Formats: sequence, C-alpha cells, structure tokens
Amino acid sequence: MTDPAPSSDRPSVRTPPRAPAPSRPVRKWQWSQVGLYAAVVAISAFLLFPIYVIFLLAFVPQKYTFFAARPALLPPSLTLANLQAGLSTAGSPFLPSLYLSLELAFMVGAIAILIGIPTAYGLSRLSARLAYGLTTVMFVVNMLPSITIAIPISVQFIKAGLYGSPISIALTQELLALPITVFLLVGAFQGLPKDLENQARVDGASRIRAIFGSLVPLIRPALVASFLLAWMLSWDESTFALILYNPSNPPLAVEIFLSATGRGSVIEAVAFSFVATVPVIILVVILQKYLKGEDLAVGVRG
Amino acid sequence: MAVANRQAGLAPAPVATFWQRHRDQVFPFFFVIPALIYVGYFAFYPAADAVYLSFQTPIKSFTFFNYQYNVQQGMYTWIENTLWVTAGALALQFGLALAIASILAKQFRGKMVFASIAILPIGIATVVAGIAWNQILPGTGAGYGNSVLALFGASPVYWLNTPSGALAAVVVADSWKNTSLVVIILVAGYASIPRALYQAAAIDGAGPLRQFRYVTLPGLRSYLVIALLIRGAQEVNIFQLAYEMIGSYPQLLTVQVYDLYASGEGVYLASSAAAVLLGIISIFIVAVLVLGGRK
Repeated sequence: MTDPAPSSDRPSVRTPPRAPAPSRPVRKWQWSQVGLYAAVVAISAFLLFPIYVIFLLAFVPQKYTFFAARPALLPPSLTLANLQAGLSTAGSPFLPSLYLSLELAFMVGAIAILIGIPTAYGLSRLSARLAYGLTTVMFVVNMLPSITIAIPISVQFIKAGLYGSPISIALTQELLALPITVFLLVGAFQGLPKDLENQARVDGASRIRAIFGSLVPLIRPALVASFLLAWMLSWDESTFALILYNPSNPPLAVEIFLSATGRGSVIEAVAFSFVATVPVIILVVILQKYLKGEDLAVGVRG
Repeated sequence: MAVANRQAGLAPAPVATFWQRHRDQVFPFFFVIPALIYVGYFAFYPAADAVYLSFQTPIKSFTFFNYQYNVQQGMYTWIENTLWVTAGALALQFGLALAIASILAKQFRGKMVFASIAILPIGIATVVAGIAWNQILPGTGAGYGNSVLALFGASPVYWLNTPSGALAAVVVADSWKNTSLVVIILVAGYASIPRALYQAAAIDGAGPLRQFRYVTLPGLRSYLVIALLIRGAQEVNIFQLAYEMIGSYPQLLTVQVYDLYASGEGVYLASSAAAVLLGIISIFIVAVLVLGGRK
C-alpha cells in the first residue's frame, strides 16, 4: 500500500528499496493451499448453515422464516417475541421440561461415573481375554436399538409402578452413556503406572482405599470428560424418553420432538432450544480437548 | 510328577487349584459385576423380551401373526428404506469425515477454528437438528434450501416429494449431525500413522492420491472399521431425525415400531418389527465378534 504503482515509473535509483520483492514468490499462494481453504470454507458452510438457520428461526419474525415462501437468508429484522412466547409461564411447557432434562442429565452423568469407575478399574486389571470379552459386551450394549429395548422396559415399568419417574428414564439413557464412559476410563486406568496401586498398598492402604485414594484422583480429566459426555448423551436422547416419559412433564427433547411433529409450536420450541443449546455448544468446545478418538474406539481394539 | 515326588520321598507338589490360578482375577471381577447386572437387566433381558413378545398374542399364546401382519403391511419396504438410509448416510459421513480429518492432519492458519466447527453439530440436540433440516429441506417448495438455490437462480425443489428424495434428505441431515463423531475417531487414526511413512512415500514419488491410497487408508483401517460398526448400527437405529423430517412416508423400520406402539395397536405388533430391527443389528454384532476374534 505504501509502495504505490507509480513508483515503478521512477528512475532505476528507486529499485534497491524493492529488493525484498524476489523473496515474494516463495510466499505466493500455492494451488494446494487454495484447494485446502476452498474445502475448509465449503465444509464449514455446510456444518454452520443449519445452526445459522436455528438462529434465524429463533430470532427473526415468523413471517420471514416459518411462513415465508422464500425464507430470508439475512435477517430483515430481529425479535425476541418467539423466545418470550416460549418462556411465558402461562401454559409454556418448556421451563419444567428444561428442569427435568437437567435433572436427567446430571443423574446419567453421576451414575456413569459411579458404575464406570469400578467397572473400568476391574477391566483394566482383568486378564486380556476376559477384559476383551466384557468390553465386547459393553460394545454390543451400545449397538442395541433403543426402541426395541424401550418397549419391553415400558411394559416392565408399568407393572413395577416406575413408569415415567425420572430415575427410570435416567437408567435407560445410561445404556448409551455407560459403555462410552467405561471405554474412556479403561483407557485412563491403563495409562497409569502399574506400580502406583502396589505402592499405596505397601504403604498400608486397603485395596479399595488404594484405588479411590491414589488412582481415581489421577484420572480426573477422563472423569470430567466422561461425565460431560454422559451428560450430553442424556441431553440429546429422546427415544427412551419418548417411550417412557410422564405426559404431565416430558423431558425437553421430547417436548421439542412433540412440538416439531405437530403437537405444539415449532418456532417457540426452536427459540427456547436455541437458548438452551448455547451452553451445550460451549461445553462441546471445552470438551474437545478431552475427547479422544482412540478412547472411543477402544471397544474393538480391546 | 507326583509319582516321581513320592518315589523321592517328597510331599506331593502343590497342584494349583482353579482358585489359586485365578485368584488375581477374582478381585477385579467383583468390580465389573454391578455393570454386568445393570446391562443384563436393562439391555439384554429387554432385548430377549422383545423377541419373546413378538411371538405372543394379547392373550399370551404363541403366534406368527405379528410377523405376517407386518409383512402384509410392507415390512420388506421398511427394511429396504432403512438399509438405503444406512448405506447413504455411511457413505456421506465417511467421505466427509475423511476429508475433514485429512484437512486437520495438515498445519494451516485457522486450523483450531475449523476443528471446533467440525465438532459443533455434536452440541445440537438431534430433535433441534431435525427442526432445522425440516426448515431447510421441506416438501413444500419453500425452505432455506430453496432460498440458497434462488441465489443461483435455480427453481424451487420439492425435496421430499419422492421416496428417494425424502430418504436422501434424511441422509444429508443425519450425516450433518453425526459426521463429527467419525471425525473424532479418524483424527485419532491419523495421529497414529507415522509421519515417516509419508516422507518415504513422497521420496518414492507417490503423489497425494497415492499416499492416501497406500499410506492413509491402511493406517486408518482399524479406526475405519470401528467407526463403521458404531455408526452402521446407529444408522439402522435412526429414529427422531427421520420421524421429524419425513414422518412415516417413506417408512423406516424404527418409525414403524414407534407408530405401532404409539397407535395403541399393541406392543406385540410393535415387538415383531422391533425384533426384525434387532435382527439387522445382530449382523453388526456378529461382525464385531468375528473381527475381534480374528485379531
């Protein structure tokens, strides 16, 4: 910019200051770089567009979004009316549903940790063959169709009088969270030096105290990761919840699902869920560094 | 040996009992028992119960009627649709995830931002994603997808008006939601491939495509297999997103289970469709066992 074009018309005396020029071809755009950034932009656009649409649906007047033949890609105006309608206490189901979903998510996270720690410890100390077999069992649990399992469970729960209680929903959602928690924690336990537990026991700690006193504190990052992952799985889960919910207070995912499939206002649902989603997105970005593919994949590699 | 010992006038050598040989295994096994009871009661028992219920009448006698009824109602089509969605979603997800993981294996300005964007869909609840995609690809000729097409002067598309179009819309939406998980697994796979292999391939004159074919793909193989099994089973189980976007037309197996259950036609008819679903999933389960055993 400070080297305007006319300078080239000046006498050659002016050329020495332009000496850096020959080095520029090194920094020139390579076609592979262009291709890389083109791919980055295209994929990012695909991944961000639906999130942007959720934002538009939530904060743009409905005549430009839901009721428009050509929904506006740029917001002509913004409004809080959709959100207010979703939040207004008179007849709005979303707030009680949000509380229930939070309750479920924390329960699923807590149970995942409570059962996950002993299970993962056991698996990390069992012989390779036995551990492999049991890991496969957990892997299979993860693959079973929720809707197939949910129907007999609903029959059982109705008989047992548990139908619709938060703990019953949490215990079914745990089926999705527990295997991944166990995979994450097994990886963490295996990463600890074998001698640590023995040292604690030589120092006089009982085996249980050795585990909880010296091993568990060392796998705290994995515990945080699995708690958050379990939390999010429950937050997202709506199949078990849909079969087992209490009609007087469904979890948020079910409430939104029912709204979206014609039993309520989609826009109010989306406005409310956008606000409820922002903390989860922040969680995901935080979680990113804890989320390790090799741990999630431990199921088959054993 | 025992005879030899006796001849030598020694006490018989202690033969390790089952307990002694496995003593170090017993203690850790105790820790696994709660989880085994839990998954036994909440996963395997209900799965078996679903199969049992599928052969029952409301008055508890044995019948094949539930299956016959569903076959008459078009079960083969539901299965076919489910398999098309599974195949399509796996192809799209893995293509996209391979591209994203390949990009993330490079160093470039803005990499951290792109890595964050790549996992963002995990944070959007499936039911919310369903609403968004419903507004992007509706069957009415409106929607944000057509707004984008209008920018390029294209005429509106009725995305959901043919069965294949509707299934394709579900495939795109589902892939959007679930590619991130595959990316996470494949990024770990890329990290496990030694850089030296790429340098050696480059010295041998292999271009990017041949490097991908002969270094990347073999290096990612076990990760790809695991991700395929995880996602494959989950695709067969796809429910909320499909139900929100296309309802019961064209019908998927999971949606049919829910329709039968919710319409009050009874858990028995629903269970027979649910048992067929379990049958398809068991193909993936057998694949896990076979692949694991071959190791």
